[in-house]
Amino acid sequence: MSEEKTGGQKTRTIKVDYLARVEGEGAMLLKIDNGKLTDVKLKIFEPPRFFEGLLRGRGFTEAPDITARICGICPVAYQMSAVHAMENALGLKVEGQLRALRRLLYCGEWISSHTLHIYMLHAPDFLGYPSAVHMAKDHAPAVERGLQLKKAGGEIMMLLGGREIHPINVRVGGFYRVPTKKELQTLVEPLQKARDAALETVRWVSGFDFPDFEQDYIFVSLRHADEYPFNEGHIVSNRGLDITAAQYDDYFEEQHVEHSTALHCVLKDGQKSYHVGPMARYTLNFDRLPPHIQDVAKAAGLGKSCNNPFKSIIVRSIEVLYACEEALNIIESYGMLEKPFIDGAVKAGIGYAATEAPRGLLYHRYKINAKGDIEDANIIPPTSQNQKMIEDDLWQFVTQYMDLPDDKLQWHAEQAIRNYDPCISCSAHFLKLTVDRT
Amino acid sequence: MKKPFLIGIGNPHRGDDAAGLLVLDRLKNDFESLKHDGEPAALIDAWQGHDDIILVDAVSSGAGAGEIFELDLQKESLPDIFAQSSTHSFGVAEAVELARALGKLPPAIFFYGIAGENFSIGGDVSPEVEKSVAAVAQSILDAHKEKKHA
Repeated sequence: MSEEKTGGQKTRTIKVDYLARVEGEGAMLLKIDNGKLTDVKLKIFEPPRFFEGLLRGRGFTEAPDITARICGICPVAYQMSAVHAMENALGLKVEGQLRALRRLLYCGEWISSHTLHIYMLHAPDFLGYPSAVHMAKDHAPAVERGLQLKKAGGEIMMLLGGREIHPINVRVGGFYRVPTKKELQTLVEPLQKARDAALETVRWVSGFDFPDFEQDYIFVSLRHADEYPFNEGHIVSNRGLDITAAQYDDYFEEQHVEHSTALHCVLKDGQKSYHVGPMARYTLNFDRLPPHIQDVAKAAGLGKSCNNPFKSIIVRSIEVLYACEEALNIIESYGMLEKPFIDGAVKAGIGYAATEAPRGLLYHRYKINAKGDIEDANIIPPTSQNQKMIEDDLWQFVTQYMDLPDDKLQWHAEQAIRNYDPCISCSAHFLKLTVDRT
Repeated sequence: MKKPFLIGIGNPHRGDDAAGLLVLDRLKNDFESLKHDGEPAALIDAWQGHDDIILVDAVSSGAGAGEIFELDLQKESLPDIFAQSSTHSFGVAEAVELARALGKLPPAIFFYGIAGENFSIGGDVSPEVEKSVAAVAQSILDAHKEKKHA
């Protein structure tokens, strides 16, 4: 932080080399001239660009394992979007128990990823601690509950994915191996405990203090005919959008911005930013939650929609509860299959898919040739889609808190970024925060 | 005497980040071990039930490639600079400190860090790091022999 006066103008600079408690690293600049916010830039580098190049020339069957490497926190999301896109290109439809197992795997990732964010990255903001380690000294039972909950999600990923990080058991058409009913039963007791812990988590986070910051967001998420969405559904918005994944490129646009190697995503119509992730899913799919979970959400102070990004922590906790219950339901109705996958003839084509990563919509598009080799790949992670939205939030939020001293302003700006649980590992490489006041 | 349980942390596809895993490869016939990506909650869980843990990880500390750091984590914390080297901001150093705050740190826990310089996707392991991998593996073997004969 620095302060200087030049020609009667006041210059203050806050520089933070690492924005703490986000997934990955990046850079942030806030510029304030004479008490007015004049510039906001979220600067990130985007490894998925390399992955898209890496995928070209590889076999279509390799996409789920290669893309799983993009992120250690949400590898299942990358695998799911990859296999659905390939199946779309090949005209395959995975249904029944295989489809249910994919939802189960996604439940594991949502539980694990959301719990990491709720307990280790986001809760310290609300309780006034610089880190989860500091928080653990005063809130040990809560942190232990978070670890227990996260472990339950990890166990699902371990059993179904072969391992927790970068799972290896997912393939186009299904799985390499499916679990026995007995194996899945081993998850029941930990998941029942996790469900209790998830309910307690909702109560815990709903007691936090939230800044008054309601925004009129354009929410975008999947919406399925009768499920809270993981793998399938139309892409919808609260402004009337209702399209298939194959139409994504017609309605959304990636833009290069000078200050970042990552691409910004906007709606083609009006070049507007939009919001993906738990709040979008919740708002667009509240009626797809079981009634008793709707009641838990209401008791936690949420309405049918959530427009305050600071309350995203409550929405994540509701989604963890849902994922625990959904996982238990899938396990209860599971019957082992004789063949762990379906297959079909390889043919040239373009495949599209969007699934719901913990942080929001994850779009994949692949072009494959008649031999099944990938000729072109496009991957749009949720954090790229939210990147402009985060900047827009900062414009609004920092303006409200302009009079605060730099250290407090920095705290609030970081919290506003963390509301999105940005997975900069997916879409960025290094985050610094700079506030430049003139 | 009971052998320590080795946990090697790293990503085999990111150049020097594989250092911890390569040390384990050299000691797989001598010790029980686990390759781990460093995810903190799972890491804390991984060392439960073990009284004597050795963590081996690549570090990015500004030191020259191959420099070796040895720390007794019961007596000292991992320097903040190591915490910041994680590709995820909640990493191994935080896992150790979180476990310490929760009383879940093993009675004996020792850390070997090998400074890397190339962490790029698909990158090769630096020659200096390869030398240090061999040195750390030998050091772990020697330390165990000394303990056994003590």
